[in-house]
Amino acid sequence: MSAAAQRRAAPLSRARRTALGLVLPLAALIAWELSARIGEVPSYLVAPSVIFATTWEMLASGELWQHTRVSLLRALGGYAIGGACGIAMGLLAGIARPVERFYDPIVSLTYPVPKIVVLPILIAWLGAGDASKIAVVTAAVFYPTFINSLYGAKGVNRLYVWSARNMGAGPLRVFAKVILPAALPQVLAGLRIGLALAFIVMVACEMQNSRSGLGHLIITAEDSLRFDLMYAAIVAIAIIGFAGDRLLLWLRRRALAGQAIGKEGAHG
Amino acid sequence: MASAVLRAVARWYPVPLVLAVWEVLSRTGAVSKRLMPSLVEIAAAVGAAMDNGDLLFHAGISLGRAAAGYALAIVAGVLLGVAMARSRLFDALFEPLFSFGYPVPKIALYPVFIFAFGLGSLSKVMLIFLECLYPITVNAFYGMRGVDRVHVWAAENMGATPRQVFWRVLLPGAAPSIFAGLRVALPISLIVVIITEMIGESRGLGYYISYASASFEYATAFAGVAAVAVIGFTLDRLLVWLRNRVIFWERGAAFIGAA
Repeated sequence: MSAAAQRRAAPLSRARRTALGLVLPLAALIAWELSARIGEVPSYLVAPSVIFATTWEMLASGELWQHTRVSLLRALGGYAIGGACGIAMGLLAGIARPVERFYDPIVSLTYPVPKIVVLPILIAWLGAGDASKIAVVTAAVFYPTFINSLYGAKGVNRLYVWSARNMGAGPLRVFAKVILPAALPQVLAGLRIGLALAFIVMVACEMQNSRSGLGHLIITAEDSLRFDLMYAAIVAIAIIGFAGDRLLLWLRRRALAGQAIGKEGAHG
Repeated sequence: MASAVLRAVARWYPVPLVLAVWEVLSRTGAVSKRLMPSLVEIAAAVGAAMDNGDLLFHAGISLGRAAAGYALAIVAGVLLGVAMARSRLFDALFEPLFSFGYPVPKIALYPVFIFAFGLGSLSKVMLIFLECLYPITVNAFYGMRGVDRVHVWAAENMGATPRQVFWRVLLPGAAPSIFAGLRVALPISLIVVIITEMIGESRGLGYYISYASASFEYATAFAGVAAVAVIGFTLDRLLVWLRNRVIFWERGAAFIGAA
């Protein structure tokens, strides 16, 4: 074995990895804080300590939670509708050829189109309230969940289906006991991409046209030069995006317990 | 010949079907004609906007921004992903940034970017770069890490130098995953360019669409939507074509934005 190969074989200890991982964020934070205190940076770079204090204050007063609740309702409402439709249609298309043939040209034509383009038109239809935003999130979430469910159901090993049938399982049983479990990892992968998209689209919609929500808070805070408020909203968005993703990963670990897939730490 | 026509009809019939439903809804007035203009009106609006050059002008600006941010993200993302997969130091330094930052919607930082890079193209390009960087880096990283060790050992055994192993084994092995990352990032680049143009800009397709619908010219707005659709579809097809040429051995495999 060469020296290079030996070096490759020895992994870093966990503690050293964690310490190294903290280097860049901490260095950035300290540099940011120091330069903001000395006043060497433009005013839009508020010191992290001030951001923290404002976030804390707004949490205590309940104002941050109010906007967060509105945003969550929109993102998760659209996510639930779009995800449910995407999974149902995707699985159906995966097991029934005519259904797949119907969706294939429409989905492949519209998949690469950013769904956000229809927002101004939807606002004209549904008003500037929650409905138009939920509709855009629904459309955005539908595609990744549909495509992943379709490939998941199509990729099921034929042999398993045949053996289940051979042993006397009816179509419903085959679906519930063979196809669904086998497609599950891919379905969950689609749900994960969909969740990230739901939050992006939610923020985008609220920034573009809204009277409430975290995206709206960012824009109004920016307009009134309350930069600490703007960062508090950004922090809240980062936290719900991150927490939602971790929750989904945890669910995936539970749902796939016993399957050799869904390794922890796999990114989006 | 006849069978080829039949096959094309069998494959594409849903598209005219959906368009026909649209036209019927619009003509019968089931949905207000102003909100859902007939296809003829939309086609006329596309024609008018092509004639006076509006559509091409705004499309060119949006496309330029998206392409600039996307290209930057490809260069930086592939380099970073490869470096993280090859060096433990890079891995330990950057992995947390990517695993924690991945699910965070970076679009929330747009106002900060406006202050840092101005209201023009630069802030949009930088935000597209940032949003696209994540899927591209992460997929390049997992692609490099996922290369079968046996292939590396076999190459080393046959006397390949580390350079040869990298260019002939590792990079081709990672290419399918890298392309999957590119396909995830492509629609993201379009989303970001459109939404940033809708928020604060006087040029680009995002502005064009939101301005037209704010002035109740829905046919014109749909013309803008159609332009975005054509751009998104064409770029995606180009990427699929390129991918099938570059990694021809994977041509049959599913090419979706993998997780």
